Amino acid sequence: MDDQRIIERMTGMMDIKIAAKDVNVWYGDNHAIKDVTVDIADKTVTAFIGPSGCGKSTFLRCINRMNDTIDVARVEGDILLDGENIYDPKVDPVQLRAKIGMVFQKPNPFPKSIYDNVAYGPRIHGLARSKAELDEIVEKSLRRGAIWNEVKDRLDQPGTGLSGGQQQRLCIARAVATEPEVLLMDEPCSALDPIATAQVEELIDELRQNFSVVIVTHSMQQAARVSQKTAFFHLGDLVEYGDTAEIFTTPKDNRTESYITGRIG
Amino acid sequence: MTDITSTPEARPVSLLAPDERTRKRNAAERRFRIYGMIALGIGLLALVVLLTSIVRNGSGAFFQTYITLDVALPADKLDKQGNRNREEMAKVSTFGYAPLIKDAMAAKLVEAGISIDGLDDAEDLISKDAAAQLRDFVLARPEVVGETLEFNFLASGRIDGYYKGRVTMASAARDSNVSPEQLRLADALKGNGALRTRFNSSFITAPDASENRPEASGLGVAILGSLYMMLIVLALALPIGVAASIYLEEFAPTNWFTDVIEVNISNLAAVPSIVFGILGLAIFINFAGLPQSAPIVGGLVLTLMTLPTIIIATRASLKAVPPSIREAALGVGASKMQTVLHHVLPLAAPGILTGTIIGLAQALGETAPLLLIGMVAFVRDYPGAPPDGFFDPASALPVQIYNWTQRADPAFVERASGAIIALLAFLLVMNAIAIILRRRFERRW
Repeated sequence: MDDQRIIERMTGMMDIKIAAKDVNVWYGDNHAIKDVTVDIADKTVTAFIGPSGCGKSTFLRCINRMNDTIDVARVEGDILLDGENIYDPKVDPVQLRAKIGMVFQKPNPFPKSIYDNVAYGPRIHGLARSKAELDEIVEKSLRRGAIWNEVKDRLDQPGTGLSGGQQQRLCIARAVATEPEVLLMDEPCSALDPIATAQVEELIDELRQNFSVVIVTHSMQQAARVSQKTAFFHLGDLVEYGDTAEIFTTPKDNRTESYITGRIG
Repeated sequence: MTDITSTPEARPVSLLAPDERTRKRNAAERRFRIYGMIALGIGLLALVVLLTSIVRNGSGAFFQTYITLDVALPADKLDKQGNRNREEMAKVSTFGYAPLIKDAMAAKLVEAGISIDGLDDAEDLISKDAAAQLRDFVLARPEVVGETLEFNFLASGRIDGYYKGRVTMASAARDSNVSPEQLRLADALKGNGALRTRFNSSFITAPDASENRPEASGLGVAILGSLYMMLIVLALALPIGVAASIYLEEFAPTNWFTDVIEVNISNLAAVPSIVFGILGLAIFINFAGLPQSAPIVGGLVLTLMTLPTIIIATRASLKAVPPSIREAALGVGASKMQTVLHHVLPLAAPGILTGTIIGLAQALGETAPLLLIGMVAFVRDYPGAPPDGFFDPASALPVQIYNWTQRADPAFVERASGAIIALLAFLLVMNAIAIILRRRFERRW
């Protein structure tokens, strides 16, 4: 783990953006998440790591209630966003998802133009009152997605015509266009080549200034490179959660140590 | 280690000489390819035979023999009052016009110097429909009374058949409807230029005609009836089918109730069409009191029949939209409805449209249910303009074909084949539209 470039930061002092308390998730009879309690800080990159099927993606999808769309999924427990329970019956998941953006494993741009891809969210949420304002939002989002310079001359071309890495950055731009407070990323680099991965990782580090980013990743190196906080999941349990530097250098739990040294997973 | 890999010298000698197993495998593959080509060949041959026989029998219906005559329209016979009043003139029936045609024919023979021994009833060369045609013309333009005008009359079915090879001198000698002398007269008129074979647009536009006037019968009412029914099917089946599919596919919870609905839809698609006809008769005509033979009833019955096809096709194309698109839309905060309307439906549109047009094509060719709701009736009046016309009696293309194949006069064989060509042309156009739409909205992900 010599290649990690962990920057020392005062992570302990930060505000808590998301607080999960005793979250349990069932897929039918399968108990996928068991009593997970975790506090996610604002303006921080938090990485969820763990072997396949450990529940890290499931937990991520609880945060913007994407699990609601799966019939057999059942969620118990509280997840507080700025102190408000997002599982309160009064909360509309559609409104919630505008505040918590999501980037998926496979780049999934809409089969529409690059402009329409980014403008779709602001349009349905009524964020722009005029065409000029919408143009401005699109440009700002594409800049934040670090893809503006590559696509500014072909905004009317289909988003599906871009390369994989560009598509993923377009998806990030689309996610930030609705001005979310939290950005969830579900293995955003697993379908990308190393160069595109490096670009997206750099971008994630920049996004930290404006958003609280939660990233699920299979790559421990990636978690070490981009995150300040790391949570290790194993078989539905949150085994260990703490500063990334600590998790990777002095893990407290045996299972964490076994995983990061490559003995399990 | 097994015995096979333990001794290197036991391996096949050369890749250049295929071993027994490879030869067998290749032979089997060649045989399979030949089976496939034979099957394809049989299918193509059947299609070619079918099409050539239909075209050979039916193309004649689009060409008809006409006889040109100068008809005097005497005012003293057609308009006794002399005031060109349409209602007064309408009192003269077609029987009043028939002698005019007879006189015109006689005059023509004198003028052309044609005389044929033993010829009587020269006017029988002209279709019995001609008098009605003349009357309609005069009533539409009363001012022509008193003049002498040139008219193109349909030749009678037998004379027309003579030029299409159905009637010969020998058969005419045994036929009570036509004599060899009349055929000789027809040949003389043809030499004179008064008798010609022309393209017959009235086969497409004219209504059906009675048993003994095959030459005057046309598909007009049937085409209108079929068109009206297709409009009704499209207007009802497409929105209902798509809405039902979207609900079942995207919104409905998965429980035993939706399972039952699903199984029933699949079963409905396999229900024989005549059952839908009985249903239509019982519900739409006997219970709801809608008129018989009306396109509205036919359209409703065909809608019921087409719905399962459309629902199955629509659900299949909704299923084919990748879930990542739904997730992407939900992820940026679109509601379920917005996700479906903005993203899923446009991507599924080509499949939905193709399914709909295939369903419509199926409905267009359907005969059995229409027989039961009275569309088999003999209809000579065009249905009115929609929407009132939906309630007027009409025929339908497949029913018209069925009707004509049952009539005795051999001229109707040609008519029926011609109608099949028209029906196939309709289907071809609809399938072409389906292909164009599919290309146009090609899936782009």
